[in-house]
Amino acid sequence: MSGARSLRLIWFVTWFNVRMLLASEFFVLLTFIGPLIYATLGFFLFRSGGGTAGHTLLYVALGAGMMGVWSTTLFGCGGAIAWQRWEGTLELLVNAPTRYDFILVGQTFGAVVFGFYGIVATLIWGVVLFGMPIEATFPLILPLSLLAAVVSLGSLGMLIATTFVLYRHANALGNLLEYPIWLVAGLLVPVATLPFWVRPLSWLLAPTWGMEAIRGAAIGTEPPILAIVMCFALAVVYYLAARVALIYVLAKARRDATLSLQ
Amino acid sequence: MSYGMLFNWARPSIYIPTLIGGPTFQLLFFAALGSYATNRSPAYFAIGNAVQVSALAGVFGMTMAIANERWFGTLPAVLATPANRLALFAGRFMPFVLNGLFVSLYAFALGVIFLGVRIAPGSLAVVGLGLLVTVFSCTAIGALQGAISLRLRDGLFGANLVMMSILLFCGVNIPLRELPTWMQVVGNLLPFTHGLEAVRQAADGAGLGQVGGLIAIEFGVGCAYAAAAFALFRFLEVSSRRNATLDVR
Repeated sequence: MSGARSLRLIWFVTWFNVRMLLASEFFVLLTFIGPLIYATLGFFLFRSGGGTAGHTLLYVALGAGMMGVWSTTLFGCGGAIAWQRWEGTLELLVNAPTRYDFILVGQTFGAVVFGFYGIVATLIWGVVLFGMPIEATFPLILPLSLLAAVVSLGSLGMLIATTFVLYRHANALGNLLEYPIWLVAGLLVPVATLPFWVRPLSWLLAPTWGMEAIRGAAIGTEPPILAIVMCFALAVVYYLAARVALIYVLAKARRDATLSLQ
Repeated sequence: MSYGMLFNWARPSIYIPTLIGGPTFQLLFFAALGSYATNRSPAYFAIGNAVQVSALAGVFGMTMAIANERWFGTLPAVLATPANRLALFAGRFMPFVLNGLFVSLYAFALGVIFLGVRIAPGSLAVVGLGLLVTVFSCTAIGALQGAISLRLRDGLFGANLVMMSILLFCGVNIPLRELPTWMQVVGNLLPFTHGLEAVRQAADGAGLGQVGGLIAIEFGVGCAYAAAAFALFRFLEVSSRRNATLDVR
């Protein structure tokens, strides 16, 4: 399969999945309404403290938006393979001449791209309700930061998709992992304020670096080069780990004849 | 029986991550965020969220207990029985109230051990009463959501929205007086607000004489939601029979 055809396939599946998620009330809530509620909560909490704890409203809005991105990634990717099973398309996709991991890449990127719509919604919410100024210290780096965040979260999503499928109730894992990653990745509370042993954990997470890359470009004092590099580096590591997990999962499913079992 | 059959989360593989793990991290998240943003004690946020997590069982549980009858295809059989509708409806509350209490007590224990929550020993009974009434009223709004879900494509959408609304409007993390007036009005109309305030005051040592009014209001709000839920359930039953849409999904 040529590179151009692979990219076309990934693009098609990404777009297809974005449209599928748009039709889901649950994902609309997760991506659009949830972040607005958390952003409002964040605005009031920081205001209640007599300021923004040294941060701008944009800091809160971006953090709340990224919370939505993580939720969409977690639930959208966690159930990706399980949904194909339920819909009866998994066997067809796995046995199609196209590489299944490319299909999965498109599916997980679709969830992440959909999640990023939530950041836009949160920014509009902040401007309209709280008079938040939209600013970017490094506007030329911002698109690269967004791309880095999408790529790293997409790859993490693929790892989530290939590992969560081993657990029968992937959505329950989603319920478990929403808050801890919001906390450990420093989306609203800086990692520096958390216990020291949390910091190494946060370095392994795409949302940490994705958030730092976006915030660095928007409100940072220095270009977030390290964060962008870490996003791409983690993306490679996640993708390789996901490939290994996928090979194992598919081999196991074929061996046990459970590919189509729910 | 309906609890075991209709509550999807009743098995350990879902219950533990969702109703034990989720609340644990919710407590830690809001304690960290709240104390960082406002300089208030983490205990304030721990109490608010320890009571709020009971709504996970109440709101989602009751939504599932009613809406899943339709999704599992058992609704026509249930409604074909001559059983008293009120008994059929009210009987579903008890397990979810107990479940909500359990989740909340677990979260309180976490708060006491890790986040500095202290409850005045003389007020334990009042805290317990406030908690019980709050869990009941959360279950009542869950019942209303369940009844609404008999007509919706995705019932859990509304349940999620109720959970988020409680988090924002009911003084869980932000004192009600610090919210804009219209949000205070919404908060006062939702279950949870008065019960949580009663629990907070009782934990600080207030007696039944001081918080009895708040508990009574919370109970009244809960009863109003339960009555609305039952009325809607009956209305939808009758209209579904008339329009032959009882089992339409």
